[in-house]
Amino acid sequence: MAIAKAERLMNLALCLLGTRRPLSKRELRESIEAYLEAGSDDSFSRMFERDKDDLRELGLVIETVENLDGEMGYLARRDSNRLPPITLDAEEAAALGLAAKVWQQARLAGAASGALQKLRAAGMPEDVDPYEAHGALEPRIPVHEAAFEPLMLACRDRRPVVFDYRKATAAHPEPRHVEPWALECWRGHWYLAGWDRDRGAERVFRLSRITGKVRSRSGQFAAEVPDVVTVRETVASWAGETADRSALIRLRPGSGYPLRAKATAVRELGDGWDELEIPYGHGLDAWLVEFGPDVVVLEPAELRADVVDRLRAVAKG
Amino acid sequence: MAGKPVRTVNAIDQTRRMLSLVTYLKERPGARVEDVARAFGITEDELVSDLDVLPMCGTSFRGGDLLDIDTDGERIWWHNPAALGEETAEPLRLAADEATALLVAVRAVSTLPGLRESDRQALLRANAKLEAAAGEAAGASSRLSVTFESEGGVFADVDRAISERRRLWIRYYSPARDELTEREIDPIRLVSVGHTYVEAWCRRSEARRTFRLDRVAEIKILDEPAAPPEIELRDLSEALVQPAAEDPEVVVEVGPGGRWVAEYYPHDSADELPDGGLRITLRTPDPASLRRLALRLGRDGRIVSPRDLADSARRAAREALAAYDGVDAQGPHGGHAVHDGQYDRQEQGL
Repeated sequence: MAIAKAERLMNLALCLLGTRRPLSKRELRESIEAYLEAGSDDSFSRMFERDKDDLRELGLVIETVENLDGEMGYLARRDSNRLPPITLDAEEAAALGLAAKVWQQARLAGAASGALQKLRAAGMPEDVDPYEAHGALEPRIPVHEAAFEPLMLACRDRRPVVFDYRKATAAHPEPRHVEPWALECWRGHWYLAGWDRDRGAERVFRLSRITGKVRSRSGQFAAEVPDVVTVRETVASWAGETADRSALIRLRPGSGYPLRAKATAVRELGDGWDELEIPYGHGLDAWLVEFGPDVVVLEPAELRADVVDRLRAVAKG
Repeated sequence: MAGKPVRTVNAIDQTRRMLSLVTYLKERPGARVEDVARAFGITEDELVSDLDVLPMCGTSFRGGDLLDIDTDGERIWWHNPAALGEETAEPLRLAADEATALLVAVRAVSTLPGLRESDRQALLRANAKLEAAAGEAAGASSRLSVTFESEGGVFADVDRAISERRRLWIRYYSPARDELTEREIDPIRLVSVGHTYVEAWCRRSEARRTFRLDRVAEIKILDEPAAPPEIELRDLSEALVQPAAEDPEVVVEVGPGGRWVAEYYPHDSADELPDGGLRITLRTPDPASLRRLALRLGRDGRIVSPRDLADSARRAAREALAAYDGVDAQGPHGGHAVHDGQYDRQEQGL
């Protein structure tokens, strides 16, 4: 029976951590049973390279050193692999316990539990059970987009990517070459900010509109990464959150609570209508139409025309 | 336990866990299986499967000592702890992904409006200590961020009502019907998934309901104790309300400009149309609540069925137009809105 990968990785990790001098590939192969059974030299080499990458992925710093005979040796020095001292009180431990449960995405959920386990091994207090504290609060970070993981890694490693992207109103996707900077989750949706190479400008992409695979591109970022990347502000302006003008509307009493909540002024006209001043940003026309006959737009003329236009389209059916 | 992510057996996660486990066990001879599983946030079965692998592992070159670890199912015994040198058993530094996962989550939760100040302070302290301990590995965590939306005042009242086990009175806005209703609810838990919701037992509908905090127009903590019936907590990560199989079906056809509907509405199917649009089939207990959608779509889409829903949207549009009588509306305007979730699926049940 093939030896389980976790057993092989564990043995490699312990060998590299336990040694004081670099171990050659040959020595490692002879001391780890799974490598002895690996078959050809080629398949052993491939397996060994993959395993080293996997261990590095979980945080192990593995050094490559050439010995006197010109042979490559490997070791994981304690100095570079030791967790610096960290002392957490019970409240902080509970806070981290809550945070570790937040990710719904397998890779980050695994990484968060792994971090917590390392802190446990380092003596994080256990008198408060962090898995039970804050029982009434459940923050969850939803990740439904397939593009999330490859983009997260590309942002981390600063690797350019290419993906097919379908704009909100476009029938067909188009390839986009992007230097990915940062990912942000707002109102439950993930967005990517980065440098769009074809357009030569900063762009924000919504992950759910990426179709197909995210592919890595070789080479470095050409554009400079800004110190602060703002995704939310851009998305908020798409969503009409950044209103720069105001509109005057009439509203039936008792209806349109969210419009009232946003209103800067409300006047009861007493003739079956209230008059409201509300902030006017992108997308307001579509929102107002939802209220049907309970809303009438007075000003500005442009908004009034947009709403009438939309209503006519529905009325025609 | 509700809300726990589904775990898949993953060699990297298991290796990471076993490396921490040996450090932990080395200092705790005879540790109880139950306690260790709890400390590591794993099931006893997962722990036992780790304990099956560890005796096949060792540090020394050329088949030296393997770790002699065994368990009788209750306690864990390590017969040769010296097989792992003092230094080899030290706690390991955090990987970039580990630091990112914890730091991003800690920062996200710490910005939740309405969170108790003592909890926020604990999160901020943990964040600072973790950043220091992670060192360089913390660098990439700034490339990922999450904002939870919440109404601070409402959040604080709900939080207090839950901890004091008291009933709440709320005036709640339902977008589907564009109306405010008053109800008494027994709060169970606060759930943040982008927006923040309170899951509660609604005394009015005698059912479990989910209320979005920014739609609570008014809230009061009542003197009566909350008495929610024992109900099983569901995992709310997928969808707050899943349509039931017996709910009526609605078919919507949208053009390219209406494709967002498929992103916002849980649906059974979305088939491509030749013009770049979609034919979307969804189910809802209350099709009338979709009149808003029909109005919003305008020229970007139409309700195919049920017929009376399409008719009611048409009637509403005509009635609305009557108020603009005499206005000479100009030609078609562009301006497709980006939809920020004016509609949310949980309203279907309200």
